[in-house]
Amino acid sequence: MPAHHPAPELLFDYAAGSLREVQALLVASHLAYCAECRRRVAELEACGGVLLEEVAAEPVSDGLLDAVLAKLADAPAALPPQPATPPPNGILPGPLHRALGGSMGGALDGVDWVRIVPGIHLSGWSLGVGTASACLLRMAAGASVPAHRHTDHEMLLVLTGAFSDEFGRYRVGDVASYDPDTPHHAVADRDGECVCLLVQDKPLVFTGALGWLLNRGFRF
Amino acid sequence: MSLQADSNDPTVPSLERLLLAVAQGRDQQAFRALFQHFAPRVKGYARKLGADDGAAEELVQDVMLTVWQRADTFDPDLASAATWIYTIARNRRIDRIRQERRPELHPDDSMLDGDGAPPPDHQVQAAQEASRLRAVIGDLPPEQAEVLRLAYYEDKVHSEISVEQGIPLGTVKTRLRLALVRLRRAFGEEA
Repeated sequence: MPAHHPAPELLFDYAAGSLREVQALLVASHLAYCAECRRRVAELEACGGVLLEEVAAEPVSDGLLDAVLAKLADAPAALPPQPATPPPNGILPGPLHRALGGSMGGALDGVDWVRIVPGIHLSGWSLGVGTASACLLRMAAGASVPAHRHTDHEMLLVLTGAFSDEFGRYRVGDVASYDPDTPHHAVADRDGECVCLLVQDKPLVFTGALGWLLNRGFRF
Repeated sequence: MSLQADSNDPTVPSLERLLLAVAQGRDQQAFRALFQHFAPRVKGYARKLGADDGAAEELVQDVMLTVWQRADTFDPDLASAATWIYTIARNRRIDRIRQERRPELHPDDSMLDGDGAPPPDHQVQAAQEASRLRAVIGDLPPEQAEVLRLAYYEDKVHSEISVEQGIPLGTVKTRLRLALVRLRRAFGEEA
């Protein structure tokens, strides 16, 4: 069971449907590891069900039921195939597997990596919606991410291995969450590489001389 | 089995029965009854979230068609009929109106061994839970009820609620967390 969870507000926004796609991808992926957060989301969805019963009903047009009934006749008897479920023993949780196109066989073999500094890579794959973006972050055993600060929120979900920062240690399924303008640096455990889903809302600003170079060439 | 939606008898979770009749028997009468109950509510939900009349009715069609097609995935142990249809309406609205994908966890997605089923304590009387939850929501202090409704009905994440209502973010979070604590009591957290 994970020890570090998304903030309660994030689970709430996810259940209410107001959370945007990129952050929702991280929350849905965390749920694959966390029975406790799944239960909380189910409770908040039950709240949505109660509110749906309470909403001021709006009469629908007279022909709407007939229009739907006519479509039932055309509706395929068999359901359209469900989106891909990752194979057992894969390292990618289902929502992330599908976001990557469902072609990875649950592993990371098909992911292209761009080296940022020695030991630190970002995936060529990314998902950007509005001001938010997601990609994968790979840290070699013992590698550390250069110190950086950022102007908006940043989150990491651990997919393999583990890392530590100023605030704690994060294992598979854990979520690390950083408020704007919180300098932090993650260091992967020494005994193996660590891959995370990285979600952020704005481009980061690296600090220091190395940061000056990184800011010119990379989003991170 | 009676297929009348009998709201006078609180012991009969009849909307759930109607859904099961659609799932098991492709029962069009049951589907009509579900439509009569839920179509105006789904339309009201869409309108509250800013859809115009035409877009709201298109969402209703989309949701009710999905109810017909996916009724076999409804499990009354896990959710009430209203909760199940709420999640469909929420997700279809995100797809259609916001034009984003909705990342969802599927039943086979668990990364935990032997964890396909929810905890046993949740597999009881989802419909009865709903009535306790309704009472809790009704009793929320107005400022807590307000943040709840803004999130569900105005498509605002909590930080946007803060900006638009001119309330500090910390206050929004506090109100939300207080509301969530009260809501959790409806789920027998004392157990």
